[in-house]
Amino acid sequence: MADELTPDELLDKIDYGADSGNWMDTTKSVQIRPGMYCYAAKAESVETLGLPNARPWNPVEEDWKLPDDWQQILHEGIKVRLERFRTFKIFMDVCVRCGACADKCHFFLGTGDPKNMPVLRAELLRSVYRNDFTTAGKILQNIPGGQRLGGNRPLTIDVLKEMWYYFFQCTECRRCSVFCPYGIDTAEITIMARELFNLIGLNIDWIATPVSNCYQTGNHLGIQPHAFKDMLEFFVEDLEDITGVDCTPNFQKKGADILFITPSGDVFADPGTYTCQGYLILFKYLKDKYGLDVTWSTYASEGGNFGFFTSHETMKRLNAKMYAEAKRLGVKWILGGECGHMWRVIHQYMDTMNGPADFLEVPVNPITGTRFDNAASTKMVHITEFTADLIKHGKLELDKGRNANRIMTFHDSCNPARGMGLLDEPRYVIKSVCDNFYEMPPNTIRENTFCCGSGSGLNAGENMELRMAGALPRATALKHVHEKYGVNTLGTICAIDRAALTTLCEYWVPDVEVAGVHELVGNALILPGEKERTEDLRMEPLPGCEEEE
Amino acid sequence: MTVKQILKDNHSILLKKWFQATIDTYPAQSAKILGKDVDRFDNPVGAVTRETLEDILHLLADDYTADTLEKALDPVIRIRAVQAFSAAEAVSFIFALKNIGETIMDSAFAREFDRMVDQVVLAGFNRLMKCREDIFLLKATESKRRIHAAFERAGLVQELKEEDLLGSKKS
Repeated sequence: MADELTPDELLDKIDYGADSGNWMDTTKSVQIRPGMYCYAAKAESVETLGLPNARPWNPVEEDWKLPDDWQQILHEGIKVRLERFRTFKIFMDVCVRCGACADKCHFFLGTGDPKNMPVLRAELLRSVYRNDFTTAGKILQNIPGGQRLGGNRPLTIDVLKEMWYYFFQCTECRRCSVFCPYGIDTAEITIMARELFNLIGLNIDWIATPVSNCYQTGNHLGIQPHAFKDMLEFFVEDLEDITGVDCTPNFQKKGADILFITPSGDVFADPGTYTCQGYLILFKYLKDKYGLDVTWSTYASEGGNFGFFTSHETMKRLNAKMYAEAKRLGVKWILGGECGHMWRVIHQYMDTMNGPADFLEVPVNPITGTRFDNAASTKMVHITEFTADLIKHGKLELDKGRNANRIMTFHDSCNPARGMGLLDEPRYVIKSVCDNFYEMPPNTIRENTFCCGSGSGLNAGENMELRMAGALPRATALKHVHEKYGVNTLGTICAIDRAALTTLCEYWVPDVEVAGVHELVGNALILPGEKERTEDLRMEPLPGCEEEE
Repeated sequence: MTVKQILKDNHSILLKKWFQATIDTYPAQSAKILGKDVDRFDNPVGAVTRETLEDILHLLADDYTADTLEKALDPVIRIRAVQAFSAAEAVSFIFALKNIGETIMDSAFAREFDRMVDQVVLAGFNRLMKCREDIFLLKATESKRRIHAAFERAGLVQELKEEDLLGSKKS
């Protein structure tokens, strides 16, 4: 039995070194460090939503301006949620601290901060749960040293601040849950923690203001309907220059076949705007070739849902407009664009929150006859599923040569990959429109994908150090394929990714660009009646059309 | 015998001790994990740290300039520049090399070695400043992009292109 340890070898493993500090001790760790936290929610945004304790406050100041009975509010909040959500109760009880998740979190791997181990981050809340809600905890808190023995902590202001700091250092990406033998979904623990914070007005502004804008105006940036329409019309002008074809879309067209909803980032933020132009080209092609009628909506002009990072109720309020608009327009079903968390909301929550959408049909691609049974309940199909189906049936005429300058790899966005199992369709589409594709290492893709480090509302500017540290595992894999295969483009199907990974590349792998999958589709798709194209959607020369210097 | 020869002969032990000293700059609970020699994509901090320190030791045992040292240090400094280290803590791991050097060479060589380590420290500090500047530039660039995009779409800046606004990045 050569692999068994001898007693001496076992003794050697005991660490006699000085204790580096107990995790329950908050005196050292509650250092809200600039670069790691996001600014506090603006009072007016919190007010718009009617959420509690709207006031100006600053996380680095001593006084967080909490209501006097904040402990009681949180205690009640935890109690209600333990009764309402069985998962939350189980996740609080069942963890055995095996540590399988410890080194799976991109924030732990990037920051080296032990409190970013998913198990320890969750323990910050569990310690309060054990203290206040378990019999053992209640007994132990009356015995000297009992709290430390049981890992219980009373909910003090320092404990609250520490929880706030670390639960906004989790992107709810769920990589840790893939490795948990009990299937604990740590994202749900973060979701609960953030819901609790919102009970006493402790949201961050990068979440609260987009939610407020979305609720009031219809999208995260607060772009009004006419400006949204203007933006798409700018794209139409650019596309006419590039292709010679008028790709004007429909807006709020009653009786259209399909309602299309995408994150507003695609309309307003580069390089997502090129992906948006790809959608416009695709819909024009399908209209001319097959008579498919797709409509956009300036009312349902946001696929993203930052309500997901606020509370269940807020998520439900924002999500409802998708169904409301589909019903009003009388479309058959909804097609969704390239987005990340939007798809976890749709796939896992939409139907039970605002469904069943009996007024919609089970999605069928009228061009291929494919019935999307996976979306039978939500009535909402992901655009890469839709496009992959069209390509599989030979319904799109594509010129791969137009993407010949792209040497691609693909970043699985956490929510489509782990939240709905969308793994192969984007790859199939990329390989159909581009000849050069190389995978990143297997432990960094598909279900094991590493987060961009900026999801779940953490894509602010002020927390750049946190974002770049969290991006390290993804960047290490990207750098590997860049150096080994000359990869120059990182494909992705998430609007946050398109913004966040661009900055990631600038810091870690400067020679790589980020592109949405439908940007590549838009380049390759041969529109009926198009002129000879010399430029791609970025208005850069197509391969073979470069001017000689 | 020269310092360079001593460094070549003791490469493995130097690397082992220096790597451990560097990883020990992290909290103990983290150091246990980051110090593991596993797949580089499962432990990027550990892998990049080990590779960078090895590159530096090779450079010191061979020919080097301030530029080659700085370039070689980039991967590990780039990581430490975004972690919870003060500027001093971020480059402090390089000084550990002096203590390690004393354990394997006599004092005459150790003094020469100390001067070499000083050069590594200066290169490390240069690189740390560069990485911190990169971080601030990323913040500025994201803001500029957002603001510029808004102005451009409002038709207010037809002439000024994004590249012009971001020109400072090239300098």
